[in-house]
Amino acid sequence: MSIVVGQAPNLGPDVAGGHGSTHPDRPSRHRKMPQGMATEAVGSAVASFALVWLVLTLTAAGASAVGFGVFWVMGFLLTYGLLTWRLHGVLLMKERLATVFVWGSSLVALVPLVAIIVYVIVHGFAAVFSGFPHFFFADMSQFSSARSPVTQAGMVAAIVGTVEQVGLATIFSVPIAVLTATYLNESTGTFARVLGTVVDSMTGTPSIIAGLFVYLLWVQPHGTSGKSGLAAAMALTVLMLPFVTRSAQEVLLVVPGSLREAALALGAPQWRVVLRVVLPTARTGMVTAVILGIARVVGETAPLLLATSASSHTNWNPFRGIQSDLPLQIYSLVTQPGVNATKVAWGGAFVLVLVVLTLFTLARIVGSSRPGQRRLPWRRSKAVAA
Amino acid sequence: MTTLDGLRQGTDVGSFPASSGGAAAPATSGLPDSGASALVAREVSAWFGSHKVLERISLGMEQKKVTALIGPSGCGKSTFLRILNRMHELIPGAALSGSVHLDDVDIYDPAQQITATRLKIGMVFQRPNPFPSMTIAQNVLSGLRLSGTKVANPDALVQECLEKAGMWNETRNRLNHAGAALSGGQQQRLCIARALAVRPKVLLMDEPCSALDPISTGVIEETIKELREEVTIVIVTHNMQQAQRVSDSCALFLVDGEGMPGHIVEWGQTEQVFQDPHDPRTADYVHGRFG
Ligand SMILES: Nc1ncnc2c1ncn2[C@@H]1O[C@H](COP(=O)(O)OP(=O)(O)OP(=O)(O)O)[C@@H](O)[C@H]1O
Ligand SMILES: [Mg+2]
Repeated sequence: MSIVVGQAPNLGPDVAGGHGSTHPDRPSRHRKMPQGMATEAVGSAVASFALVWLVLTLTAAGASAVGFGVFWVMGFLLTYGLLTWRLHGVLLMKERLATVFVWGSSLVALVPLVAIIVYVIVHGFAAVFSGFPHFFFADMSQFSSARSPVTQAGMVAAIVGTVEQVGLATIFSVPIAVLTATYLNESTGTFARVLGTVVDSMTGTPSIIAGLFVYLLWVQPHGTSGKSGLAAAMALTVLMLPFVTRSAQEVLLVVPGSLREAALALGAPQWRVVLRVVLPTARTGMVTAVILGIARVVGETAPLLLATSASSHTNWNPFRGIQSDLPLQIYSLVTQPGVNATKVAWGGAFVLVLVVLTLFTLARIVGSSRPGQRRLPWRRSKAVAA
Repeated sequence: MTTLDGLRQGTDVGSFPASSGGAAAPATSGLPDSGASALVAREVSAWFGSHKVLERISLGMEQKKVTALIGPSGCGKSTFLRILNRMHELIPGAALSGSVHLDDVDIYDPAQQITATRLKIGMVFQRPNPFPSMTIAQNVLSGLRLSGTKVANPDALVQECLEKAGMWNETRNRLNHAGAALSGGQQQRLCIARALAVRPKVLLMDEPCSALDPISTGVIEETIKELREEVTIVIVTHNMQQAQRVSDSCALFLVDGEGMPGHIVEWGQTEQVFQDPHDPRTADYVHGRFG
């Protein structure tokens, strides 16, 4: 059986220009799957499907789709195991079955995720695209759920609110988080250990507690003018702070101690080591940590309920008056009567998912580039070409 | 560093090889124009927690000379080297006694600034460690930036240091490329250039060639020979030929047994240590009969 050994070093996408070309002078990518594996797997899947179907039909035993699926998977494992055992022996059979289990499990884990995204897209599509740019540029003042068509709804009030509130929360939390992470990483004292434990337990804070905290400390003392975008941003900060601190700490931990030593040996005081060597080395990871932190809080609803509320008018000023945002707008629409309100809520969810997905994608792009390179692909330097 | 001070009390300065042994060791006359300095360790002992790893090491490292430290793995050569520029104390639980003098100034004197000392006594590590977030030129200048020193003409300094490290021609056209994108040997020479940019008086090198191929090793050895003119060099090496090629004097560290502290068995001119050792263990070690 041909087990492919890489003939050329895996040089990564930058260097390996061809798309799996077989040109002898060009490096070819590692072939991940041994030849024949796909054929055998697909064959087994088809065979077991046919077998289960046949048996169920012949015995006239009714089975639900789920039941059928379970039988099919069992049948597949049996067929595929037998096949590889006969063809390649016991060792390879174990290897292949393990592969199938790993792949299968990740597929199962992926199902709910994909389902949610697809569901949101399918249901939200109509509201977002029926009067296309309208949804992004109008607010809800034209929309009263009972009578209005979907095309009169708009999310601009909520989008402005979300962007400003999350932006403020980022401005509040990131500097503190980075400094705290640096302190936790550089210091070994008792206080650092206590603080580390506090940060750890704060990451588990139920989000409604963050809302209550801000409600009692800010909203209530300020009476009727208490609810505002600022209050929402503060609640999000409480959630974001420990999360970003924790991930920034992980990132700093990865900076090799040898770099720190090299800098100290050059006669650098510790603060300069941190500022000029540790933080720049960890910069990429830091950006990823911040983006993930934003993605973490952008969909938070519970703390916002106590800090601001949905409104149909756009309020650009986060410091004054109620400012709507996406989660609250969605929540408010869902609780309103009428089919159209629900449809618009799906549209809002669509926008929210879009924002989160964009943030995660950005985090992946930033996080995957190596240090020394430009961090974003469209800003890649000439280093590779030379 | 209470442990340090506590331990350092009551150390008597005994005889040490710099003044006692060694034929024709020139007196360390403090030439005013010389950048190099003499480094003298007196009765240095070191601990990691309660584990003693060095026993009363006394060693003089003459100015403008290359001193090689040889000995089997784990006998404390790196520890000794790190004591010479106050890197030892960064390790939690590390302690030491004795004193280290740079041109007759005790670098462990509480009045001495640690950062100033490290600026004068540079270090090149076993594994190349250029700063990945910086370009080649920035790496060379990093010591100055990190110590807050202003430099009048950075471009000239970059060129000068890269030339001294024997890699100007290879890097002149890519000074603004990432330092981590160089080969291992080039990275190590970049680290040497980086250490030279702050104009140290002493350069400590811990097995600088152990991760390198023979050609890069050769280049670095040439660099060391040229640098001897302006900086005192202390180099740890496991390569006997290398010690013979580059060093003027040589000290052999040994441990007597498992868990025992390392100590100096023999010290002298390299020629003498290799050709005519006083101690039979030296002959055994340099001829590869143990260790
Ligand atoms: N960070 C540390 N913590 C505890 N013990 C240490 C530490 N570093 C070194 N040691 C111990 O100190 C002793 C001397 O170590 P050192 O690294 O100085 O040896 P070396 O002569 O440089 O060896 P090598 O040639 O392998 O580099 C060893 O017994 C080692 O186990
Ligand atoms: Mg060592």
